[in-house]
Amino acid sequence: MNSLNFNIDFGYLEGLVRGFKSGIVKQADYLNLMQCETLDDLKLHLQSTDYGNFLSNEPSPLQVSIIDDKIREKLVIEFEHMRTQSVVPLSTFLDYITYGYMIDNIVLLITGTLHQHTISELIPKCHPLGSFEQMEALSIASTLLELYNAVLVDTPLAPYFIDCISEQDIDELNIEIIRNTLYRAYLEDFYKFCQTLGSTTADYMSEVLAFEADRRAITITINSFGTELTKDDRATLFPRCGKLFPEGHSALVRADDYEHVRAVAEFYSEYRILFEESGNNPTEKTLEDKFFEHEVMLMKKAFLEQFHFGIFYAYVKLKEQENRNIVWIAECVAQRHQTRIDGYIPIF
Amino acid sequence: MGSLYRSEEMAACQLFLQAEAAYASISELGELGLVQFKDMNPDLNSFQRKFVNEVRRCEEMERKLRFLEKEIARDQIPMPDPKEIPNSPEPREMILLETTFEKLEKEMNEVNVNATTLKKNFLDLTELKHILTNAQTFFDEAVLDQSQISEDSGHLLNDADGLQGLLQTLRLGFVAGVVLRERIPTFERLLWRSCRGNVFLRQKEIDTPLEDPNTGEEVMKSVFVIFFQGEQLKAKVKKICEGFRATLYQCPETANERREMAAGIQTRIEDLNTVLSQSLDHRHRVLVSIADDMKAWHMKVRKIKAVYHVLNMFNVDVTQKYLIGECWCAERHRSRIETALRTGTERSGSSVPSILNRMETTEHPPTYNCTNKFTKVFQSIVDSYGVAGYREVNPAPFTIVTFPFLFSLMFGDSGHGVLMFMAALAMVVMETKLMQTKSDNEIWNIFFGGRYIILLMGGFSIYAGLMYNDIFSKSFNIFGSGWYPHPQRYSEHTIDHHKDLTLDPTNNSDYRGHPYPFGMDPVWQMSLNKITWLNSFKMKISIIFGVSQMFFGVILSLQNSRYFRNSVNIFCEFLPQMLFLSCIFGYLIVLILYKWIAINATMSACAPSLLIDLINMFLLNYPLEPCSSAEFYDGQKSFQSFLLLLALVCVPWLLIAKPIILKRQHSKKQVQLLNNNDEFEGRKSTEINLDGETQTSKQKDGRKDSHTGHEEEEEFSFGEAFVHQCIHTIEYCLGCISHTASYLRLWALSLAHAELSEVLWNMVFRVALKMSGYTGLIAIFILFTPWAVLTIAILLLMEGLSAFLHTLRLHWVEFQSKFYKGDGYLFDPFRFDKIIEVSADD
Repeated sequence: MNSLNFNIDFGYLEGLVRGFKSGIVKQADYLNLMQCETLDDLKLHLQSTDYGNFLSNEPSPLQVSIIDDKIREKLVIEFEHMRTQSVVPLSTFLDYITYGYMIDNIVLLITGTLHQHTISELIPKCHPLGSFEQMEALSIASTLLELYNAVLVDTPLAPYFIDCISEQDIDELNIEIIRNTLYRAYLEDFYKFCQTLGSTTADYMSEVLAFEADRRAITITINSFGTELTKDDRATLFPRCGKLFPEGHSALVRADDYEHVRAVAEFYSEYRILFEESGNNPTEKTLEDKFFEHEVMLMKKAFLEQFHFGIFYAYVKLKEQENRNIVWIAECVAQRHQTRIDGYIPIF
Repeated sequence: MGSLYRSEEMAACQLFLQAEAAYASISELGELGLVQFKDMNPDLNSFQRKFVNEVRRCEEMERKLRFLEKEIARDQIPMPDPKEIPNSPEPREMILLETTFEKLEKEMNEVNVNATTLKKNFLDLTELKHILTNAQTFFDEAVLDQSQISEDSGHLLNDADGLQGLLQTLRLGFVAGVVLRERIPTFERLLWRSCRGNVFLRQKEIDTPLEDPNTGEEVMKSVFVIFFQGEQLKAKVKKICEGFRATLYQCPETANERREMAAGIQTRIEDLNTVLSQSLDHRHRVLVSIADDMKAWHMKVRKIKAVYHVLNMFNVDVTQKYLIGECWCAERHRSRIETALRTGTERSGSSVPSILNRMETTEHPPTYNCTNKFTKVFQSIVDSYGVAGYREVNPAPFTIVTFPFLFSLMFGDSGHGVLMFMAALAMVVMETKLMQTKSDNEIWNIFFGGRYIILLMGGFSIYAGLMYNDIFSKSFNIFGSGWYPHPQRYSEHTIDHHKDLTLDPTNNSDYRGHPYPFGMDPVWQMSLNKITWLNSFKMKISIIFGVSQMFFGVILSLQNSRYFRNSVNIFCEFLPQMLFLSCIFGYLIVLILYKWIAINATMSACAPSLLIDLINMFLLNYPLEPCSSAEFYDGQKSFQSFLLLLALVCVPWLLIAKPIILKRQHSKKQVQLLNNNDEFEGRKSTEINLDGETQTSKQKDGRKDSHTGHEEEEEFSFGEAFVHQCIHTIEYCLGCISHTASYLRLWALSLAHAELSEVLWNMVFRVALKMSGYTGLIAIFILFTPWAVLTIAILLLMEGLSAFLHTLRLHWVEFQSKFYKGDGYLFDPFRFDKIIEVSADD
């Protein structure tokens, strides 16, 4: 895949996704949205953005969850369109994007059944991008081995799952470990796949996935304080494709509290800034928000270059951020919580 | 009657509407469609405006209408267009409409819910029926398998008691159900995997598609029966079935019971069917009753919404009793608008009249050209280049004539012209009928929209074709050629056998003494130097028409300057431009005419070559050899040098004069302003107590300026003015030369068209004409079709399109660049008919 022949197979979709990108809600729109007093105001204003009349067939009063669903539905329609139009290797690349959502769905369903929820009430909560045929039968399995043998072996996630097969029964801690093991395997595999694509795609995606990996490593470390997760186990959950690998990982494994993690990040210029600017006071942004901001910055970079697949990944991620932003604002409006309404992360 | 020459005189008006009368007044104005409203609150968000609730109610109504429309469309009931467009409803009617829609939606929802439950029942029963009918075969197979198993185990155990016990324990449980057909493979695989091969699935496809009660779509399903052993497996199987959204049914174990149950279900299905058809009938009746009104309702709601959108642009005065808005309208329509406002006030029953106040403004008014169906297309050709500035000379009325004329010079063939004319005439005659059948075909709409211009282009082409004497590339000898071979000098035998005989123009014996009275002499059709002669003739014609059009453009720029009282432009732009053009190309035209008139056949050997002459004029070089480039009138050298010098003087004149004068004027103004300011300062110190007031008024003005976006006095910068003038000068001087050359496309395209049609005639149709006897007859019959098809496809459509585009270019670039600024913006009045049209397109 080089710049010369790129447009033959992927030119249309690249153009399309660039068009979609220009429909992303702008800063000025956010400013207007923030002035809304009711959700109906919000709906009225969203009509003037690229979302158009996507809410016009919803009877008032609106609910935040409906807005959320509709926004997601729009993204899914766009993504499905691109997926059906694409050919190898772009189609594989797009499939890889959906695997992340699949992992989330699986974990959601397992947790749900563990808490005695029925499948039918869990299914609507799953992300439609990550749905697969056997998803609804997940509840039959009570051990991981069973889960693998019966259900997951047919899905593309099967190879990722091999690492966490055991005869153990599923419990709360287990699930988090499954999630992170799956994610680790997924990220590493995605990373490898992008490397095979070469050229700009590989360059850009390795940067993005490295950030994703490092973010997971840092978050896992911070969240594992005070749980029964051993340090050795912790080490096995870190995705090994980030900039923190290997020195940063060994340092993170030894970390005992937040300050240690911060000290590790000191050595990496891009993460140091994030730690410095974040805090837990209400006026300051949380580390999570800073990570999101950094992600948005990275994603916007994708559009500066042409002839690579990174923009598809970036578009999905930016849309997801936009979704979070609008839902955040909508929640603030609905709960009349105007003080925190500017807690969204501006994109353009 | 408005004139097309300049756009309508516009008045900026302030509109005071009494709050109660506002709605009625605006809806009257919407029916009238002559007023463009200005947004008074551009800083306000759409949801902060006054009538946002009404707009929202309209949107809610539209949502309900869309819902109803979807239901009607699902039942495939036609929704006819209303015979006449309903008047904009009163505000009272809005509530009425709202309740009607509310009721209808509720009723529809109820009907739908009922229908869904009924259909769900129906589906369940049908599925069960399929299971029961198919179960027999499944069980037969299963029993067979079972006996095999027992046989096998019998061999193993080889013990009669053991066998008996085994059979009892082998008592298999089963579940029966229905699942989506496409899910069967994964379903089966998952079952096999998770039960480790200990279950046994039999399935059969249901042939008839079943209707999904929720979506109304038809889906294909399969019946299955799963056999298993033991309670644990049963739980697991049930879970899997649930996961695949299979519906499970109780199925009796013995064949007799099954048969009884099937019979019972059959009767229940029949009962249900009658109920279902009754409820569907009811639904259909409800929908049919509202289908006729649907379109009218839509229009009404659209109108209400549009009125409130306009009202949202108004300001509310302090007392809340008046709505204040600003608008543009044509000066001559003001009385009609006032009448409309009065009817509006009367309709609302208000006693206080609405006031339309003319006001002064520094803003540029919009451009409003009243067009009719004939002039519309010409105006749109001009507008797509750029909308004329307010009261600027509008090129559209001239375009009406020059456009088809220049087109015809390129498309000059009477035969093709007639075809084009007839096609356009048909469209014009059947106009009203064709307009009613609204077509979505874009290409057809383009042609239909341009029917009048095509009509004129066809007509002019007939004329040009007669001038060129070209009818399907053939010439007609109507009046008798002016030339003939003199019978005394040429015998018929000589004519037949000598191909290179020439008619001698110097000798009057071959010439009748008077030229062919109209157009080209048909004798050229058979001469060998036809092309050479036509080229020279058409080239000259092109130059003459082209330069004339440019002259005309420059004169129009004078009209603009005079109208706007811009004497600087007259003396520093129009005059040098005119001189420059006439010194070079005006002189060239004179030479062309002179050559046509004064040079005759006897002087042909030394006839002046105008092209060489023009080049020599620039080089100031007059060689004596060859004789065609020699002087052909006395004082030619000095006169031409004088012209050249004059043209050259025009360049610096055009370049420098205007910026210098502008700078002088500006500095004079500055001095004046400074003096005024001093006075103002002095006054201010004495009247300090008024200071607060002046400031607020200033702020108000400032805000107004910022939102109208037009500054009263632009900052003057000499550098900028000079650079601008520099570009303008270069563009004009080089433009004159390149544009003159550009007009040669008139010749080039007409040559291409004539040659192409000649080739088509000679290569296709003439082949048939050359044959004799019955073969010729058949050949004509066969070859006419390709000739006709190619004539229409290539010569009429393709060549016509290309000539059209070239004409468009000549008008936009060569003609309009001489005078047309096109920096205005269109008058966009608030009109209901347009709003409804847009909604119909959605």
